[in-house]
Amino acid sequence: MFRSKRMAALVAAVALSLTGCSAAGSSSQDAASQTLTLGAIQSPKTFDASQSEFANLSPFYQAVYDTLIRMQPDGTLVPMLATEWKYNDDKTVLTLKLRDDVKFTDGTAFNADAAKKNLERFKAGTSPDAQFLAALKTATAVDATTLELTLSAPDPAFLNYLSKDASFMQSPASFANADIATNPVGSGPYILDTAATVTGTSYAYKRNPDYWAKDLQHYDNLVLNVYLDQTSLLNAIKSGTLNGANTIDNNTLTEIEAAGYKVNPLALNWSGLILFDRAGTTNPALKDVRVRQALNYAFDTKALLQSIGQGHGEQTAQVFPPSSDAYDKALDSRYAYDPAKAKALLAEAGYASGLTLSLPSSTLLGTTIPALITQQLKDVGITAEFTDTGNNFIADLLAPKYGVSYMILEQQSDWQLINMKLTPGAPWNPYNYEDPKVDELVNKIHLGSVDEQKAAAKELNKYIVEQAWFAPWFRPQSSYVTDAKTNVEVQTGNAYPFIWSFTPAS
Amino acid sequence: MYRFVLRRLFSGVLLLFVITTVAYLLLYAGGGDIARRIVGPTASDAQVALKASQLGLDRPLLVQYWDWLSNAVTGDLGRSWFNGQLVSTGVTGRVSVTLSLVIGATIIAAVISVVLGVLAAVRRGWVDRVAQFVGVLGHAIPGFLIALGLVSLFALNLKLFKATGYVPITTSFGGWAATVTLPIIALSIGCIAAIVQQVRGSLIDALRQDYVRTLRARGLSFNRVVYKHVLRNAGGPALAVLAVQFIGLLGGAVIVEQIFALPGLGQITVTATGQGDIPVVMGVVVATAAIVVTVNLIIDLAQGWLNPKVRLS
Repeated sequence: MFRSKRMAALVAAVALSLTGCSAAGSSSQDAASQTLTLGAIQSPKTFDASQSEFANLSPFYQAVYDTLIRMQPDGTLVPMLATEWKYNDDKTVLTLKLRDDVKFTDGTAFNADAAKKNLERFKAGTSPDAQFLAALKTATAVDATTLELTLSAPDPAFLNYLSKDASFMQSPASFANADIATNPVGSGPYILDTAATVTGTSYAYKRNPDYWAKDLQHYDNLVLNVYLDQTSLLNAIKSGTLNGANTIDNNTLTEIEAAGYKVNPLALNWSGLILFDRAGTTNPALKDVRVRQALNYAFDTKALLQSIGQGHGEQTAQVFPPSSDAYDKALDSRYAYDPAKAKALLAEAGYASGLTLSLPSSTLLGTTIPALITQQLKDVGITAEFTDTGNNFIADLLAPKYGVSYMILEQQSDWQLINMKLTPGAPWNPYNYEDPKVDELVNKIHLGSVDEQKAAAKELNKYIVEQAWFAPWFRPQSSYVTDAKTNVEVQTGNAYPFIWSFTPAS
Repeated sequence: MYRFVLRRLFSGVLLLFVITTVAYLLLYAGGGDIARRIVGPTASDAQVALKASQLGLDRPLLVQYWDWLSNAVTGDLGRSWFNGQLVSTGVTGRVSVTLSLVIGATIIAAVISVVLGVLAAVRRGWVDRVAQFVGVLGHAIPGFLIALGLVSLFALNLKLFKATGYVPITTSFGGWAATVTLPIIALSIGCIAAIVQQVRGSLIDALRQDYVRTLRARGLSFNRVVYKHVLRNAGGPALAVLAVQFIGLLGGAVIVEQIFALPGLGQITVTATGQGDIPVVMGVVVATAAIVVTVNLIIDLAQGWLNPKVRLS
């Protein structure tokens, strides 16, 4: 069996194949100069538009599905499948005029009836964003190009939602397809190449030859690669495999820049503490606004920004983003680090001898953040007791099981943010805390004129900061990196740039 | 011979049934509220209930299991709960990637460790010490560390190979080789370490046997004795180690695939297990168990060919 000659031949063959492949051609993907290859950190669960998601998953869907309204990078809304739209006087009926020259890739014509069916399906579907259409009472196709949407109550964010997953338009003829989850039929700029796609890993798209808006198609091919492991994402960037990618944190920006990439910063989130239990249900101390304010004074946010965010970001004490009407720059420094003041406030509130807070920890958080929180609170006489939540961190917060927790939350547009964090029914207000003053201001934002809305939003933000519903630390900088061949405009309020915001660098 | 193969195949099928049953029950017990996990923490209870009924998760466990099993027997492994892909498509598409790595690593490990092991046992001296050193080193350094070192040296600095991604062998052989070479090397180093020791040890034992002295006394050259008689005797234990290593490599591939972002079974296993995507995990279990049963059968046959005494058992 093991004749020496044969063995030598084998060894030689192995050695040859090892050395030979370095000289072999490069991968098939950069054959065409007009291929855009992007890295993502999540893969879509399904291409069924009624279960679609947004944020990090937006490019997967935007490539194949158009929306009724298109949002530009600065947040302005412009026509897409809808050419114009108008509210009635009390903002409960929205009438949209639709294009008449759009076809889905299976040949079905896009019209008001198709739009109506998609909206109704999304509202009844299992998308995590299904509540975007909670206000939608009825959708009526008045004629082929007129869609009338009746709302149960005005929704200031409704038009915004129509530029996101809530209005992804899928061919109604494909709703019953067995492969709906893996073979999307839309009218978008690209068509998913199912043969070249490895679900969960790499998604290949080809240009849609019949697309109605050539000015939104900048590439012949699009490839979206998913990296579940930070190291592999970083290696893919550094080896020049990707034209653009998200970055998981700011620790690697220097390395990435050294590899010839440009960093496009965007502010998306705020991180810090949420003081959930404002009524003192689980911990009576939290009911006292002075205790909540003390928790704001207790943290050296400048040092925290350096140690946790590597200095990439801005200190803040408010949850509304700089792009919002509610934002007030002065509030960013409302609670400058002052442990003495924190101690004094605690003493005033009757906790001179200290107080104990119960907080959740998780592998998601790592060990640094709980250690820093423990140290900073100890300095003002508060004992932090951390409990490991395993994989149930978010579920335990929303249950609710904890009065206070560290969290990173998105800074959405005003109405979305209010309904995510501030109203009694908001998911991130799990104790359903209610404050008449907040209710009154939210009501003004809901039903008032544009000027009234702006004024009320400013007042609401100030009130929330004064009442210390949260103890924000900073707005961490998120970064989208692009290579020298690619330009991109980052998207206000979205983790991933929109698919038509990528252009080849001339 | 045929009866032997049939018996082994039958016990393989039985093993497959037991493994899948246990795996299904374990996964189900540890699954928690899967429908809730699919639709996300902010979904309404109505959405969770809708998802559960869409997937049939609201039925009794035994009904669900029987449903899965009766479909699986006909080759229908269902669809992923999390991305709607047919499990059979998802798994078969990925088996080729993982097998590329594992078979490649096994072949390279076998060749290198037999050469090294034989040289070490026959020549002793410095060659032996080098082989021993390689063995200890390969054991001591974890595979993922070797993988990371290989990436930064050969892919990022020298740009000889791809740092991430996979090109199917059917698309381009050169592209395939460029994407799998580093992962294969990373996988095979630990494997070489284990087999070199085994080959060296069993050869040294075999060389001390009486029949070697007898053959040499009858005037056969040393090389002829080693390659024709001794290796054949020492091959059995080495093959057994190789089989164990091959199965171990399936596990090692999980980490290596993550580092190189290769679309293999490892990646799908990590994702699906983390999510509680039972149909996909079951698909991986079936595929892996089938591979292991097949490999063991091949090794048994090879050992029988090497050593007639084994054929009777």
